[in-house]
Amino acid sequence: MSVNPMAYEAQFFGFTPQTCMLRVYIAFQDYLFEMMLVVETVILKKLDGFPGCKISPCQIRKSTEKFLLFMKEHFDKLFSKMEEVLLQLVLNIPENVLLPEDKVHEQYPYTKEQFQALQDEIQQLQQQYRAEASAGQALQAELEEQKAVQAELEKILQWFDGLDNICREHGTSNFKESFAFLTQNSKKLQDVLKDVEEKSKKIKKHDQLL
Amino acid sequence: SGSDGGPPVPAAPGRAQVFAAVVDTFLEKLVTAGSYQRFANCYRCFYRLQPEMTRSIYDQFVSQLQTSIKEEIQDVKDEGNLEVLFNSLDKMVEEAKDHKEPAWRPSGIPEEDVRSAMVPYLLKHRSYLQKVLKEKEEENRRVAESVLAGRDRIAELQQLIQARKLAWQ
Repeated sequence: MSVNPMAYEAQFFGFTPQTCMLRVYIAFQDYLFEMMLVVETVILKKLDGFPGCKISPCQIRKSTEKFLLFMKEHFDKLFSKMEEVLLQLVLNIPENVLLPEDKVHEQYPYTKEQFQALQDEIQQLQQQYRAEASAGQALQAELEEQKAVQAELEKILQWFDGLDNICREHGTSNFKESFAFLTQNSKKLQDVLKDVEEKSKKIKKHDQLL
Repeated sequence: SGSDGGPPVPAAPGRAQVFAAVVDTFLEKLVTAGSYQRFANCYRCFYRLQPEMTRSIYDQFVSQLQTSIKEEIQDVKDEGNLEVLFNSLDKMVEEAKDHKEPAWRPSGIPEEDVRSAMVPYLLKHRSYLQKVLKEKEEENRRVAESVLAGRDRIAELQQLIQARKLAWQ
């Protein structure tokens, strides 16, 4: 005979139904015995008030045992029936019933493979995020560098603009041109100087030869 | 249904009711079996001596036994919070009445069972990661555009500076 452990019921009730029934059985039985003992004690006490009677305590004990045996038989039979009904109708969870705390198992019946796939997917997303995050950091770093470089370049440009402004203020709008003219002239001058030097060298040579 | 105008069909007795009824029936039948006749028969000699006392003792015995048994049942109900659990279970049974197939039961292997319990959290985590990843990608796209624009700007500045240099030569 296979015994139904009623584990799901135990999950719900907090106790195993069979254990509960056993506890109740023992308690009831104890009360029955207790009551019978009380009955016997009372009867024996009453008998003490009748010193002349011929009833011995032994007879009373036999009577008690007789009644108790009878009661116990019926008690066991009746309790057995009660237990059956309680285990089947009251302290049971029908097969088609799912406890609310177990709802996830019907909502997400994932196999080992599906579960692993989900975990893998999550790991991959984490890696992708980490990659994007470090790419983002690199971009931000370049952006910061660019800011500094731009600032420098703009300073230089401003300096040039400053020069232009000075020229304009002092009315030498062609300062640039004259400066350029000067640089060119000084270059020409240098060329001429070079020319003269060479020519004088040549003349000196001629002189020496002459 | 009230369409036929007849009295409403009483709902099937709940577990609490059945429990109470079953215990009452047990007591009733026990007391019937342990009848006064049976009691007096067993204690025949005493009965002959003191019939009224016998009756009185029997009545007390029955009364005390019933009281003890009922108290024990009440203790069990109170300790286990059974009234609440019975009603709750009745409700679940009612809600599942269209669900014909056997429901899930623990497999006995915790590692297997915990999987399904974790799935909702993993799904939430996954959707969170997808969201922040998308946001990060979007953010990086924007920053990349800024970086490219910045490079263009620097090149432009360098050209302008070069032009000024030439103009001063």
